[in-house]
Amino acid sequence: MLTRRDLGLAAGAAALLPLAKPALAQGARGTVVMAQQAQPPSLDAQVTTAQASRNINLHVYETLFARDEAGNPQPDLAEGVDVSPDGLTYRFSLRDARFHNGKRMTSADVRASLQRYGRVGGSAFIMQPVEAIETPNATTVVVRLKEPSPGFIAGISSPRAPCAIIPEEEAGKDASRIEVIGTGPFRFLEFRPDSHVRLTRFGDYVQNTRYQGMDGFAGRKVANIENIMIRFVPEAGARTAGLQTGEMQILEAIAVPAAQRLRNDRNLVMHEMMPWSFQTLMLNHVQPPMDNPVFRRALQAALDLEEIMAISTDGLYRMTHGWQHPGTTYFAGDVGRPLYNINNKDRARALLREANYRNEEIIMLGDSSFSNHQATIVTAAEQLRSVGINVRTVITDWPTAFSQRTQRTGWHMWALMLGIEPYEGPYGVVGFFSGHQPVQHARDPVIDDCQRRLTTSLAEADRKRAVSDFQARMYDQAIAIKCGDVGIVQATRAQVRDYKPYRIPRMWGISLA
Amino acid sequence: MLRYAAGRLLAALPVLAIVSLLSFGIVWIVPGDVAVEMAGPTATAEELARLRERLGLTRPWYEQLAGWYGALLRGDLGESILLRQGVAQAIVERLPVTLSLTFTALAIAFVCGTALGVLAAVRAGQAADRVAMGTALVGFSLPDFWLGLVFVYVFAVLLGWLPTGGYVPFSQDPAGWARSMLLPAAALALSQMGLFARMTRAAMLEVLRQDYVRTARAKGMPGWIVIGKHALRNALIPVVTVAGIAAGVLLGGAVVIESVFSLPGVGRLIVGAIQRRDYPVIQGGLLLTATIFVLVNLIVDLLYAALDPRIRHGRR
Repeated sequence: MLTRRDLGLAAGAAALLPLAKPALAQGARGTVVMAQQAQPPSLDAQVTTAQASRNINLHVYETLFARDEAGNPQPDLAEGVDVSPDGLTYRFSLRDARFHNGKRMTSADVRASLQRYGRVGGSAFIMQPVEAIETPNATTVVVRLKEPSPGFIAGISSPRAPCAIIPEEEAGKDASRIEVIGTGPFRFLEFRPDSHVRLTRFGDYVQNTRYQGMDGFAGRKVANIENIMIRFVPEAGARTAGLQTGEMQILEAIAVPAAQRLRNDRNLVMHEMMPWSFQTLMLNHVQPPMDNPVFRRALQAALDLEEIMAISTDGLYRMTHGWQHPGTTYFAGDVGRPLYNINNKDRARALLREANYRNEEIIMLGDSSFSNHQATIVTAAEQLRSVGINVRTVITDWPTAFSQRTQRTGWHMWALMLGIEPYEGPYGVVGFFSGHQPVQHARDPVIDDCQRRLTTSLAEADRKRAVSDFQARMYDQAIAIKCGDVGIVQATRAQVRDYKPYRIPRMWGISLA
Repeated sequence: MLRYAAGRLLAALPVLAIVSLLSFGIVWIVPGDVAVEMAGPTATAEELARLRERLGLTRPWYEQLAGWYGALLRGDLGESILLRQGVAQAIVERLPVTLSLTFTALAIAFVCGTALGVLAAVRAGQAADRVAMGTALVGFSLPDFWLGLVFVYVFAVLLGWLPTGGYVPFSQDPAGWARSMLLPAAALALSQMGLFARMTRAAMLEVLRQDYVRTARAKGMPGWIVIGKHALRNALIPVVTVAGIAAGVLLGGAVVIESVFSLPGVGRLIVGAIQRRDYPVIQGGLLLTATIFVLVNLIVDLLYAALDPRIRHGRR
């Protein structure tokens, strides 16, 4: 029931409304400043897999299908897709969309974009099965495959290096030479290297009315913010300070100790995301003694993975054995679990004796560019020394470590955090260990078979079985070691409303109080 | 004087030639390339090779060296692989930030350091001397990046007086420029301030013992004129030499401070290029840094010669 006091307040508020209106409008729109550590190596969404680019590009560009909150592909620029029973023909119907240059998106733009992705795309392999792309009319695209590829929709919907739809006129250009023009809810204004990127709300954005609200990278994207400034702030302490002073409203990530320290600050909100990535130790199977599965099992038995995770993540971790995230379509349940985090030194020593280990030097490769990698290597090295393994740690910067791991010699064990690949589903993860150049440098026939079944089986049950067999083989042969799941914390000022943490800080759907 | 300057300038050319060769050699020795940055951690060697081919990284080193020197002679530093713009343009865009930072820091370090040094010399052995030299020692000992973070916490987070970082061009807003420069320049200046203070103190103590200073005092000249006009002017000769070295150190220190305060300067450009192996930017950036270093030292030498005629006449 309304009281006289309420009416008085309402009358007062109504009287003030004309005065308050501009401020309210400004508040409803306004500018959000988001800070991220690195600057984007490219604003050509198709070519780069960098997280720094993704944070920006996924506001500007859109794809035919995009991942929802649970990581499953959903139509975005496509209304939907009809797949022929033989799995060889994909008929996409397109929804109404406009590019930032004012042009209406047609099937010609989609065809040119997909063809360009096959040439320059960061995951160009997803276009390999494509035989032809036809455009029977302006709103229909037909993709014909040479062979069934059940991962095709997963591939073109992945945010890793998004298969962005760009204007046909831009699609002929080489990598990173295009104008930054997409169909997304924000359009590109300015890129000042080493400083910032500015985006602004795209007034003619056509919302996807198929959805009620935001859903991962798909869903209805409503831009309530007028301008976005994405600042590149390399120093973590400076980013945190900027959030505290209000110079920045959103941080793509905040250090875990800082998040814990600021948890009770009423001006700030910490958004924990679990899982964000896998922490792994990759093994080089062509370098003796790593070519011996018994020796690899000794490593598997020796490591205290919980200690590694606790140290390398500042405490933000989850002990999970799966090579897919729990709760996702391809999670393989308890397969391999008994061999995860064994932490049994006696068993490790026995396996070393069985492997006839003769004190050969094991090179453990890490990099200081990612603190998790370095901490993982240093901790694991100490644990392996404790069972009598002759270990040498090599810590370099990221490009050096990565270059080294592509060589067959010079390393035995390499720390790597896999973030976007497990999020994408099983294709990238299984693919990493299979094919002509697996990360372990030696092909494994069982894993190759799992990859074949995963990428060609039309029945989902068969594909799930392939992933389950892959996981069993990963543990049985100690192909690589999964340490656990790593989380991250994204942070916002309290004035940022309706923020939901995700793979990037999403600026649609939020507003400023 | 002109002849002296021309001679020093000519002597700098071989230095720059060697620097350019070294900068080219270093990027070839260091493993990894820009393709790694672009391709992502799960890229195969095959994917990397394809990307390298597309980026033009597969040409033999001698072809690239010839291309580098050929372009250099035409005044062209090449094109950044990642920024997709000319290296010279990228550097020129960022140079005002780095020069603002370096020379503001140099000015703070020189003025404050000299003042502390004079105070310490005049009050030698007293409490003021110990306080001044203690301050200099602390400034000299603390790492600039740490000081930078402490300054951010105190002056931006706790007091809210200054921004945490970012750059405002002078042409756009002089007051904003000063606000954006103050903390990074002060953090950068402190170590060199200590150096100036100690050098000034030592030089002043020597000069203050000279006969002409004693004579000036005996004539009844006011103390501040004796110190400011007669003693300090002569004591500054070795200090000016140190200014050249300090400018070089500050230029190097700017690399770190630019990262702490998110300043889009040349240092950050070079660090980013090293992390991503953007070869043309590394080569161009190193060459430019060496050129500035050589030029600053040249200016110092000329100043030194102007202050002390014995040097330009080769009679020292």
